Amino acid sequence: MKAYFDIHPEAYKVMLDGINNLMLTERCAPPDDLAFIKDNLWLSDSAVIEHIYPLKGQWEVRLLFAHVYNPLQFLCRRIHAYACPRKAATHAGYMRRVAAKDQRGTLAVKIETLKLPPN
Amino acid sequence: MPTTKQRILESAMHLFNQYGVANVRLQQIADETGISVGNLAYHFKNKEAIVTGVYDVLFEAFSEILSSYLQAPNLADLDAQLSQYYQFFAQHRFYLTDLFEMERHYPQVFEKWRGLVSRMLLQIGRRLDYYVKRGVLKPEPSPGIYDALANNLWMIITFWIPQQMLKGGSIDEQVFKDAIWMQLNPYLTARGHDELAAISTPSNML
Repeated sequence: MKAYFDIHPEAYKVMLDGINNLMLTERCAPPDDLAFIKDNLWLSDSAVIEHIYPLKGQWEVRLLFAHVYNPLQFLCRRIHAYACPRKAATHAGYMRRVAAKDQRGTLAVKIETLKLPPN
Repeated sequence: MPTTKQRILESAMHLFNQYGVANVRLQQIADETGISVGNLAYHFKNKEAIVTGVYDVLFEAFSEILSSYLQAPNLADLDAQLSQYYQFFAQHRFYLTDLFEMERHYPQVFEKWRGLVSRMLLQIGRRLDYYVKRGVLKPEPSPGIYDALANNLWMIITFWIPQQMLKGGSIDEQVFKDAIWMQLNPYLTARGHDELAAISTPSNML
């Protein structure tokens, strides 16, 4: 008779529990887990504006992402801080060019799109 | 192309199913395979070697079924495993009809069966636990209910074919599966019912 792999019942119980847990942990995520990707699609149509701001003795570079069709929808993110204002300005320019969809800067926020009332 | 050894085992299995292990002689196995008894003796020195060889094949097939545990999280996984169990027990009916004969004459084989069967029972119990955690089965109404349910499911899976033979009922895979799902049905949650409806189920349960 062939020799078979055998396992103690207690060990088998533990193994089955492990498989059960594996099936519970490695299941598909709910669809809304990835909703932030869909929600951030507007960022692809945004103008990127660099903003250098003095804070606590340093020059902080912030990038402002503003939707070109609806500028009231915008997002501001702190990127980095530099001790030298010229260095901050240079790097901010690079960062803007990397972050912007169009490197030439044709996507821009126009005052008309804000639809401000004349009065 | 199957080897002579495999052909002998297949013939033996066929004859065991038809006449029972005790009633089959080497001559019959040789005739069924289409070889001489001398040739048969070359491959298997005696009947015990053939019986052991047949059971080796059975153990392998049974282990294969056990290893298909939770390949998918839903109830369709149990349904698929039930199909495998049905095929197994339908093809190897002598396993049950000669069960106690085996205990007497081949205790080693019987012991091995006992190990596999207890593993099967454990697996059913753990599967119920898993379905409770997943929310397709209601939480256990009172302690011990699901242990008893697992035991009932095991009994149905294992002895469904012999009891149908005894009653003269039809031996059909769908009827077999229905018998199992009927047991589980009262304990299923709304989500469980939805999952059950998604797999092939009898019309009266939908």
